[in-house]
Amino acid sequence: MLYKTNVKSLLVTAAIISWVLLLGNVLLMAESVRQPGAIKLALPYINNLLIIVFILSVFLFQRLSANNLKGIDFSSYLWNLFSKAAIAAYLSIALYFAYKLSTGYARLQSPLLLHLVYQVNFGLLVYFLAKSFYIWRQLLLYHKNKFLQVAWEWFELLLFSTLILTLLNFNYTNYIFLPLFGLFGCYILFLCTNLKWVAYLSFNKKSRSLVLLGAILVSCYIFTKFFQEFSDSQELVIDYSDVGFLMLAMMFVGCYTLAAFLVSLFSLPTSSVFEQKSEDLLNFQRLSQSIQQGQNESQVYNTLFESTIKASDATAAWFEMVRGNNTHVSHLLNINNEQIERIRHLLLAYNIQNIDYINNNLDRNTGFRDLALPWKSLIILPIKSKKHIFGTLYLLRDIEQGFDRETVNVLRTFTSQTILTIENLRLVAESLQNERYKEELKIATQVQESLIPKTFPTDSWFEIATHAVAAKEVGGDFYDFLQLSESRIAIIIGDVSGKGISAAFHMAQMKGIFHGLMQQDMPPSEFMKQANSALSRCLEKTSFITSSLYIIDYRMQGFMFARAGHCHTLYYNAMMEDVFYFQTDGLGLGIVRDKSYNNHVREMYYDYNPGDVMVIYTDGIVEARNAANDEYGEDRLKYMLTQTYHLEAEDIKCAIINDLEDFTGPDNLYDDQTLLVIKFKPVQPKA
Amino acid sequence: MKITQDIKESTIIMTLDGELDASSSVILDEELSDPEIMKYSKILVDCQNLNYISSAGLGVFISHLQRFEDAQIKLIFFNMQDKVRNVFEILGLDLLMTIVTNYEEAITIADE
Repeated sequence: MLYKTNVKSLLVTAAIISWVLLLGNVLLMAESVRQPGAIKLALPYINNLLIIVFILSVFLFQRLSANNLKGIDFSSYLWNLFSKAAIAAYLSIALYFAYKLSTGYARLQSPLLLHLVYQVNFGLLVYFLAKSFYIWRQLLLYHKNKFLQVAWEWFELLLFSTLILTLLNFNYTNYIFLPLFGLFGCYILFLCTNLKWVAYLSFNKKSRSLVLLGAILVSCYIFTKFFQEFSDSQELVIDYSDVGFLMLAMMFVGCYTLAAFLVSLFSLPTSSVFEQKSEDLLNFQRLSQSIQQGQNESQVYNTLFESTIKASDATAAWFEMVRGNNTHVSHLLNINNEQIERIRHLLLAYNIQNIDYINNNLDRNTGFRDLALPWKSLIILPIKSKKHIFGTLYLLRDIEQGFDRETVNVLRTFTSQTILTIENLRLVAESLQNERYKEELKIATQVQESLIPKTFPTDSWFEIATHAVAAKEVGGDFYDFLQLSESRIAIIIGDVSGKGISAAFHMAQMKGIFHGLMQQDMPPSEFMKQANSALSRCLEKTSFITSSLYIIDYRMQGFMFARAGHCHTLYYNAMMEDVFYFQTDGLGLGIVRDKSYNNHVREMYYDYNPGDVMVIYTDGIVEARNAANDEYGEDRLKYMLTQTYHLEAEDIKCAIINDLEDFTGPDNLYDDQTLLVIKFKPVQPKA
Repeated sequence: MKITQDIKESTIIMTLDGELDASSSVILDEELSDPEIMKYSKILVDCQNLNYISSAGLGVFISHLQRFEDAQIKLIFFNMQDKVRNVFEILGLDLLMTIVTNYEEAITIADE
């Protein structure tokens, strides 16, 4: 397995050996010509073989090296070519003059020295041709298509096949080959039209490239001239101008260099336009990438300001940003605040500060002429979407007709891209904010869930069934209990107004108040008064809490309760076989925040019988709505209890919830729903 | 939710149309927070087309109640639908606020 580096060093060795052998053979031949008596050691066909080996190894070496060239920095390619190969021509001419001088002074004819110089120049020529051939290939195939690729491969193949002519010692100037070479020349001309890379050079790079291309052209000329000079020389035993391959390669290199030179030269005046276009494109890209790069709005405005000034070649500009109802100048270029103020006053009078406006002849407008401004053209570009006005961009130029249609189109694209970017930035920020709210709600839901007891005490004298679902947004339903003594239990239910974190927070407060106050075992009305007083200090003004508190005493077979704005208690009396609501007065907590609250709460005592059922719920139950927007209502709830009171608490609850779901339909939950069913049982004697 | 105001001398008649929930209660709060409103001595709220009131909506009225009382501004609700009135009653607000059946009654009470 031959590695690339191995191949390369092999080629270098082959090139050096073949060149040295060639030199030796040529010198031997020259010696044998000078001394006709000498033994003819040199063989002519060996020369041809060595030439081909040398040419092939140098070209293949360059072919491998050129594959490493990448990127689109074309002027560095040219510099590479000039500094490494074209300079060889200048070396060769220097060498030739040195030879001339030395022979001139010393007046000695040395065919050996001449052969040496000629041989060195041949080496330099092949190196130059190989290097430039493959660098030109690299440039020629820039932005290639399939056809061009195939065309080039054929060109290379045909070119290398001409080496056979040299090997067999055919004279390529023969009339048989001439038309073929003519056709080949046309092929070369066709290839030379592929100069797409020139378009990518900026003005500066183009002028630098012109110098380099000129120098390379001179190199071509020097080599051609040199070998032509000696083509029919009698002093030389060998003539490299007979090698058709070199002639054709030189033709290609020369033609391509000349074509590149001419195209660069003539495209020089238009290059600024292309530069501008590519700059605009880059700026569009920067604007649209602002979102991914996490830039903020002011950075987008910076880009807009800089890009539009470059695109329009404006001499002065300013940008007014709109924040709420205020505008302020955030960007300034070559203009002072006083001038801005004067222009704005004038625009205000014309009422054109918020619409697209172009005036290419400010001097002809009396208003602007009176301002005596140094500018002659003005364009106003409002940055606004259907919903928002983000700002207004003003560009000024010191020449008339400064903003042509083409420029205005580019500027408008810039502004619309900016609007899009800003809106997208805001959307991204908004969605992040929403994410945060969702996270907050998740926490609130967890808090709410942790505040509601999962299990109730089970006892022989009553059974209790609970149901609690939260709507998507966290609401403020809660219930809790506290065993006051062996035969007494306090049960509280409540609803905090508002939603989200604040509701969860107030729920936690209420739970704390319940546990704190009930440790002191107070009657429900007293609890409500104290709770109201406690909540008055911490609840925000628009918030209130509704609640009912029940203290059930099994020994007394009765319960005490107070209602603070909470839904009425539904009750089934087993003795009377009657279902009714306890209609009692009671104001919600936190509505009146002074002592007068004490007049708004009533307490009630009720003796229960075994088999009685008490239904406690929140407004999410009775205010649940169906598709037709009807409320479930107290009456239907009451009716449900009349149908189910004989069941166990759990079954009563299920029956009510099923009926409620039948009523609302699936996925129709607007508010939290909480339902507690308590059924009193006959007292079981303790075992 | 649509809120319209009708001004007659020292009386402002506010008509509520639609559902007063968490989002629309913000509009109501803005209307009631307007310092201009303190110039009038009577605020009559027409609830004929108020179909629903949430706790947030009630909260807005509650939060302004004390302020109006201190400024001796009468706040009177009239033409209230039964289900909305029920909400006011359950919460105990019917004892704090003046809720009457119709406009004529509201005018009479306001002029007392």
